[in-house]
Amino acid sequence: MTEKDKKATPPAPAEPSRAVKASVETDSMIERRNTEPAMPPVRERRKYKVSETPPPPAPPPKLNDYAAIIGQPEIDEIRYIARLLRGKTVKMVNSTAVGGGVAEILNRLIPLMQELEVLTKWEVITGGNDFFEVTKGFHNALHGGDYHPTKEIFDIFLRYNEQNRQRMEFVEDIFVIHDPQPAALIRSKERNRGKWIWRCHIDLSNPHREVWNFLKPFIEQYDATIFSSPAFTRQLSVPQYLFYPSIDPLSEKNKDLDESYIQKVCDDFGIDRSRPVITQISRFDRLKDPVGVIQAYKLAKKYVDCQLVLAGGGASDDPEGAVVLAEVMNEAGDDPDVIILNLPPWSALEINALQRASNIVIQKSLKEGFGLTVTEALWKNKPVIAGAVGGIPTQVVHKLTGVLVHSVEGCAYQIRYLLTHPEFAKQLGRNGHEHSKENFLLTSNVKRWLILYQEMLGLNKPIKVA
Amino acid sequence: MARNLMQRWAKAPFYFNSAAHVTRIGNQRATTLNEFAQALEKVPDDAIFQHTFQTLQEHHYIEEGFSNDFAHWAFASCNEIELAERLSSVDVREYTSIKALRDRILGIVNEYLKRNERARERAAFEPFYFCASDTIVIPTPWVARNLEEFTAELRKVSVHSIHYHFIDARLRLKLNTNDFSLWLENDLDLGALGDRINRIDIYTATLNDVRDQILKVVESAA
Repeated sequence: MTEKDKKATPPAPAEPSRAVKASVETDSMIERRNTEPAMPPVRERRKYKVSETPPPPAPPPKLNDYAAIIGQPEIDEIRYIARLLRGKTVKMVNSTAVGGGVAEILNRLIPLMQELEVLTKWEVITGGNDFFEVTKGFHNALHGGDYHPTKEIFDIFLRYNEQNRQRMEFVEDIFVIHDPQPAALIRSKERNRGKWIWRCHIDLSNPHREVWNFLKPFIEQYDATIFSSPAFTRQLSVPQYLFYPSIDPLSEKNKDLDESYIQKVCDDFGIDRSRPVITQISRFDRLKDPVGVIQAYKLAKKYVDCQLVLAGGGASDDPEGAVVLAEVMNEAGDDPDVIILNLPPWSALEINALQRASNIVIQKSLKEGFGLTVTEALWKNKPVIAGAVGGIPTQVVHKLTGVLVHSVEGCAYQIRYLLTHPEFAKQLGRNGHEHSKENFLLTSNVKRWLILYQEMLGLNKPIKVA
Repeated sequence: MARNLMQRWAKAPFYFNSAAHVTRIGNQRATTLNEFAQALEKVPDDAIFQHTFQTLQEHHYIEEGFSNDFAHWAFASCNEIELAERLSSVDVREYTSIKALRDRILGIVNEYLKRNERARERAAFEPFYFCASDTIVIPTPWVARNLEEFTAELRKVSVHSIHYHFIDARLRLKLNTNDFSLWLENDLDLGALGDRINRIDIYTATLNDVRDQILKVVESAA
């Protein structure tokens, strides 16, 4: 067996797992699991039927639908800022129309911009498998992973960017190019009068030097760049703005739910709501440290009664995810209070219910992007215990909007503390909700985009406050 | 009598504005207190504004323990509790210029480092990233010509409007007061009422609480 094979094939657990009390799978997933030995065995699995395919998307909300959440004055301010931009045109370009965080954001953002009469068009670059293999390699390399770029790799990147550049028209007032994949479209800048913005959704704090050196000359031609956290930036000669990623409070993942639905989901998953529930929502990935979460739970449980829910996906179609799931099941042992849920990607409502049913939400990541699962928990008034990595400290202001931890022991202590100090936990949840409302909602980003557009087009000069 | 006070016309109306901003990420960052002190001397005024005045708005809902980003960094990333306490005691309302505010913050940091040399080069858990704000003013349709209208409109405006008139105003006016108090004094001859409003503590109240307290002060005077 080669080293590669070892990675691709998860080891069979030493003993059949006794930990998984409930696992959510569609029939096809179950069938695939039964025919492919890659998935760890699941015992005592409760069958919970979920749709085989994603539900059709609901029509996007209107701006006024958010008034009940952020208040009418905020809506009025957004409309006022947009007034100066009526009729202006914007082109947004990214690399995928479905799946992934950027597409999710654009699907919600663009209808609101259209409603505000900021005429926003969304285009997706096209490319062959070779292009997307290269951009996937770039993505990992920019996150600090190992990569061995060659001239051919850079040529593939440039060739597809050039093809897309020739195919697209650049006649708008503003161009927003998302992430590195279409970054070289900036070569069209000289041909038109528009302003160019590069929106970087990834963490560039520790990039692969060669890949970054290749991309940097393109990035420095933009009129402005946007990052999700100050910690994710590089030294650049062009202005860098801070736009936090955002959640949509009206989406299935975040909207208010009937108590009866939350209860139903808990019943289906075997969660006893008369006892404390702590939850981590994340794919089965070592960087999310699910094993560390179980260890923290075990330490805490010596002092306080609680159940642990680990819910996520990625174990069905990702060999490494299956390995991590096996590790998680081994760590959980036969504890019936550890509930591990391997959910399909379209389980937004179930995830929403699990978060709302929780007394504490954990995100004990060892490395993280911005951590939108933290934002979701804050929005739901939950006290959050989270690893102090990536964009998490921006969201979790220690002891004010949640607590930050750096170890299994620290996480265990905070579980104990919050479960025995419910008033403090409630206060954290309340502050966390307000923090997310002020900074991390879709509507906050609509406002940021509008102000930046005004600034780029010279329509409203910032005042000198200082 | 009370009704008369509420309906007495002001010499000039009060126009409610609001403000919105985007944050710019600066190129300066500090990984130790020594670097922090050096950067504090050099960063532009709008960075000092961002981490003191502006951050109060971004955290306006917290009524305990949040004062400014510098204090919070000293506490959470440097574990220098005394320094954090001293920085958090800086009340931005006492400053009508960024220069004075910068000098005060720098003075606290330098004095602390003089007494705690070993803290100077200790690596912070997280760097401090200096940012700044681009702020635009947003006129609102709300106008008050007397106290009755003032209380009615104050209920309608966003918390950003309250921050703009009640907190940011000090730098704009270069006075130790705020737009509301100034209007009450200059246009309604209600200086004492303005003084009471000016004493509302923004560090132990959220901006919505500030709104409620202003309303309470005005309505109790009537």
